This record gives sequence, C-alpha cells and structure tokens, in this order.
Amino acid sequence: VYQVFENVARKYDVMNDSMTLGIHRVWKDILVHKMNPCPGTLLLDVAGGTGDIAFRFINYVRSVRQRQLQRKLKHDQNLSWQEIFESYQNDKFNNSLGDSQVVVCDINREMLKVGKQKAQHLGYSEGLSWVLGNAEELPFDDDKFDVYTIAFGIRNVTRIDLALQEAYRVLKPGGRFLCLEFSHVSNPLLSRLYDLYSFQVIPVLGEVIAGDWRSYQYLVESIRQFPPQEELKAMIEDAGFFRVDYENLNFGIVAIHSGFKL
Amino acid sequence: GHRRHCHRQQEHEQSSGSGSGSDSGSGSARPQPLEPSLLRFLVCPLSKRPLSRYEESTNELINEELGIAYPIIDGIPNMVPEAARRTHSKAPAEGSEQP
Repeated sequence: VYQVFENVARKYDVMNDSMTLGIHRVWKDILVHKMNPCPGTLLLDVAGGTGDIAFRFINYVRSVRQRQLQRKLKHDQNLSWQEIFESYQNDKFNNSLGDSQVVVCDINREMLKVGKQKAQHLGYSEGLSWVLGNAEELPFDDDKFDVYTIAFGIRNVTRIDLALQEAYRVLKPGGRFLCLEFSHVSNPLLSRLYDLYSFQVIPVLGEVIAGDWRSYQYLVESIRQFPPQEELKAMIEDAGFFRVDYENLNFGIVAIHSGFKL
Repeated sequence: GHRRHCHRQQEHEQSSGSGSGSDSGSGSARPQPLEPSLLRFLVCPLSKRPLSRYEESTNELINEELGIAYPIIDGIPNMVPEAARRTHSKAPAEGSEQP
C-alpha cells in the first residue's frame, strides 16, 4: 500500500480530478459543510496527506469568523470607546481562525510533503500542522480533538477496527467522527456503469496521467473490497460511537459516515 | 537549445531548495523545528504517554521511559513506531552537560 502511495502522491490531485471528473472536490466540500465547524474547533485529519480537507476546514472557519466579527462590529457601533477597547482586549481578535487548529496525520511522507508545499503556495500557515503517523497507532493523547476526519483513507488501513478505536480514543467526549469513503452502489444499472468506468477507464487514466496502471488498478479493487455502508456503520458502532449514520452521495459511489463519542 | 536546457535544470534545483528550506542531500542546513502547537497533542504512539522532551541537537522527540527517539524531518515529526530509534538508556546527560 505504501508504495502505491509513493507513486501516487505527486499526481494525487490531478488523478482525483480526472478519475472523479472533479466531483471529489464537491464531496469534500460537502464533508466540511456537514462538519459545520465553529471557530475554536480542533480537527484531526487522518490520511489527509495532501491537505484537501484541512484547507477547506480553514477556509470555512475563517469565513465563519469573518461573519462573527462583522456582527460584532455592527453591535459595537453603539458602544463607547472604552467598551470597544475592553472587548478587543478580551477577545482573540487577532486570530483570524478564532484559535481553530487542524493536525494532518498521514502515514506517507510524500503525501505530507505535497500537502505542506501546497499549504505554502496557497498561503496557509496558522493553525495547521503535519505529523507522520499510523492511523492504527495514533501519536496523540486521549480526549483531545473535537472532530476526526478520514477522507478516502480508511479503505487503505489494514485494521480498520484499530483505526476506529484510535479515532474514538483521541476524540473529546462530544466529539465527532466523520468518514468520507467510496462505498457501494445498490442500483444494479448504475452499479454496472460504475464498474465499467472503474475497471475500464480509471486504470487507463492512471497510465496516461501518472504513468502508473497498477496503482490505480489497486485503488479500484480496494474500493470493491471495502465494506458497504451498513457494515461500516456496524464497525463504527463497535468502536463505541453513538448516533452512527451515513449519507450516500451520488447513489452510494461515496458515503459519509458520522458518529459521536459521548 | 543547449543553453535553455541548462537554465531549466538550474531553475529546478533552485526551486526544490527553496521549497523545503534545506537542500536535499547536502544535510548541512538547519533542521526545520517542530510546529510548537503540536506538542500539546503529541504523545508516544506506543506508550500513549507524553514525550519527555525535544532534543534540539538531534532534532528528535525523546521518550525516556522507553528509551526511544522519534526523528523530525523537514519539520514533520515521524511518529510511526517503526521509525523510532533506540537511544542509549544509560546516558545521564546526552554529553551536552559534561564539563
């Protein structure tokens, strides 16, 4: 699996765009909207090497923060200078993220390097850190994070149950688990079309764009072997999560699973 | 044609150097330090206990209890258990406080 991602890392974003016709961006947008983070949220994004979820998270809290500031400004129109001064002292106005933070953890150094470079190019600096780690053995303390996300990463974990247990461990009580992953299409006609596309088109794209047929063949096969929606839901419940639910996107081509630690 | 080829090569070397903050292969540049806010969350993945300290000379995160050290490369700590290096368990101070 590691070598697949070494080859894939650099062309990862291009491949995602081609394979999913750019729709993966929408899926990731939906994930962050579903998360609906407020400023001050601590996010752990696992297997998020190239930073897609992390950047969206930062954009989201930044815009929420902007609106908060605007509302406050409107309210402050009627305050005296003394009161305005005091409020600036007390609030963390200097932080455009409102103290939100995201830690990106991935087992692959190449993916993290690509992510870090992207962050530099796109101008993301505050509230973002990068750790090389194993989802089955996370190097984080218990009860630390508000949200745990794993987008298109969990199917590459050998022991999904361990990764889920670790996710549970590092989340704060009240914290949320969110998983975005390829899943199963139940509609038989769509399923056939999907199979056709996956097995005929994607490896060819892999060869043409990344010069790597095999890695993308592997990716397509790993998607087929991955547990379907209900099974994954059960596994998440086994790890201790409550109110576990899933939302199908594009008829089940991908699904977002969600659970809470109480 | 030849000149253009050379120029492009130079450009490539320059951009890869400035991108990571240290030349690949030269090993002489200051190692990138860890993002300090990370230390709030980071523990040893094996023991799940807090790390003892950050060792600046080797740019590693030390777990003294288990006698292991995790390297930090390009500012990214490698917290995968297989990457941990065994430190000498007996050294009272890592040579730095010896007169």
